Amino acid sequence: MTGTMTISEAAAGLRARKFSSRELVDESLRRIAQANPKINAFITVTEESAKARANKADEELARGMDRGPLHGLPIAHKDLMMTRGVRTTAGSKIFADFVPDVDADVVEQLDDAGAVMVGKTNLHELAYGITSNNPHYGAVHNPWDLERIVGGSSGGSGAALAADLVFMATGTDTGGSIRIPSSFCGTVGLKPTYERISRGGVIPLGLTLDHIGPMARSVRDVAASFRAMLQAPSRHGDLSAPSRQGDLQAPSRQGGDRITVDQPGYIPPANVDIRGLRIGLPENFYFDRLDLDVAAAVRNAVQTAAALGARIVDVRVPDIDALNTVGRVLLLVEAVSNLRPHLHRRQDFGADVLALLDQGRLLSGADYADAQRLRRIYVDEFSKLWTQVDCILTPSTPTAAPKIGQTTMQVGQAISSPAGDAAGVTEDVRLATTRMMRAINVLGIPSLAMPCGFSASGLPLGMQILGAPRNEDMLLRIGAALEDAVGIRRPYPVLFS
Amino acid sequence: MNDWRKTAAGAAPDIPAEDVEKIVPIMEALERTFEPLRAAIRQGADMWTPE
Repeated sequence: MTGTMTISEAAAGLRARKFSSRELVDESLRRIAQANPKINAFITVTEESAKARANKADEELARGMDRGPLHGLPIAHKDLMMTRGVRTTAGSKIFADFVPDVDADVVEQLDDAGAVMVGKTNLHELAYGITSNNPHYGAVHNPWDLERIVGGSSGGSGAALAADLVFMATGTDTGGSIRIPSSFCGTVGLKPTYERISRGGVIPLGLTLDHIGPMARSVRDVAASFRAMLQAPSRHGDLSAPSRQGDLQAPSRQGGDRITVDQPGYIPPANVDIRGLRIGLPENFYFDRLDLDVAAAVRNAVQTAAALGARIVDVRVPDIDALNTVGRVLLLVEAVSNLRPHLHRRQDFGADVLALLDQGRLLSGADYADAQRLRRIYVDEFSKLWTQVDCILTPSTPTAAPKIGQTTMQVGQAISSPAGDAAGVTEDVRLATTRMMRAINVLGIPSLAMPCGFSASGLPLGMQILGAPRNEDMLLRIGAALEDAVGIRRPYPVLFS
Repeated sequence: MNDWRKTAAGAAPDIPAEDVEKIVPIMEALERTFEPLRAAIRQGADMWTPE
């Protein structure tokens, strides 16, 4: 049932009393019990509270109280979101016993929207990495191929969606952590404009780079989820440090005055029209060092957009390598700032995260300030593109999902590089996978990641649609049009056979 | 080029020597890409702030 319906279809079915919220949640829990031993998507399953919440959702609907399209639907939260009374590990040994006494803003907002949390999803340790090979809670396995990674850091959320365990899941994205799992899992994820969704109550990694966003199985499901996450302002003000974790600095709502009630979110209508929209196709960077099947799938999507009436405009993007370097400096320092109280517990960090923290400790205040000064220059430069185009379409990841444990990978033949390295190049998995991601966090602009095809071996491939700040509606509109044209992803991974 | 081993020696809590050796090449590579970018920073240029 869960796997065959969109959010709007499930919402209609609930209101037509074809099934109840309790039945949807029971099925979700049953599927989790079946799939989780294989994919390890969940760290915690909240079975009892989910059943109680589903019963309440049914009672509310029966007496005419309708909280919107997510009312009564099973969802999951990345285990980086504080959940009152439910362990929030951040995928870390450091927070293994951390039970918050408050909900993150997004948890509260989705609860207000009637969604039913069935559990907390696995992730890369402390959200600081892209494989979700978690040393403390085990690797998340890709439902499309259990030997492959799901991407990260929101890997459990991506896997839960790909395995059709929930209707939506929350994610965070500091350097690609929503978009990479979306690409590797064949699902859809929105990294909104910086601070468009409250970071209150989300364990931070990089304070000026962290973005919170929805992940789901279709563009319209993401749009419905995004709307629910936007609807209410934070009612917390600044969150106080959780009492059981005295040395954890709970994130305050940075720039809280900006996080106000936004316009009601946009849900793309049927037969959404993109005629005349200007879609930028990068001439440089994004089609270098890329597998051929990824390039072909993205170019097919561009052709589809053109066939739907969009105007394709070649654009030259500013120096993305420089932006990536700036992003690395910022994140290395900001992560140390957030985790400094725990640095003496070296044995409690995984090797990759510890190495990143050590790197950040060697950078200076001047390095950080210069990175933020450069960031301003690049943001101003990049923003000029929005006079030429309405959005920019690029690949998400240069390859399909690598295998678990793989540290380097062969990235296919360069397409647009003058060098034209026919043999491809060997690259570090982390650097190659974040290459088209990290700069977008530095810029703080919205990006919609969505499937665009399959590799020769049947693995999902992804693309991202970039837009001007606060222009998420445009991305959802274009994404829905493309999704309508090619159909929502098929086939589904055969996990339960 | 920065002497990253010397910088690491001043870190507290300590970074074990074998861990320092693992990250020195990474820091040197990062420095090689970051250092030239600083030339674009004009006197008085401000830092980024959210819109």
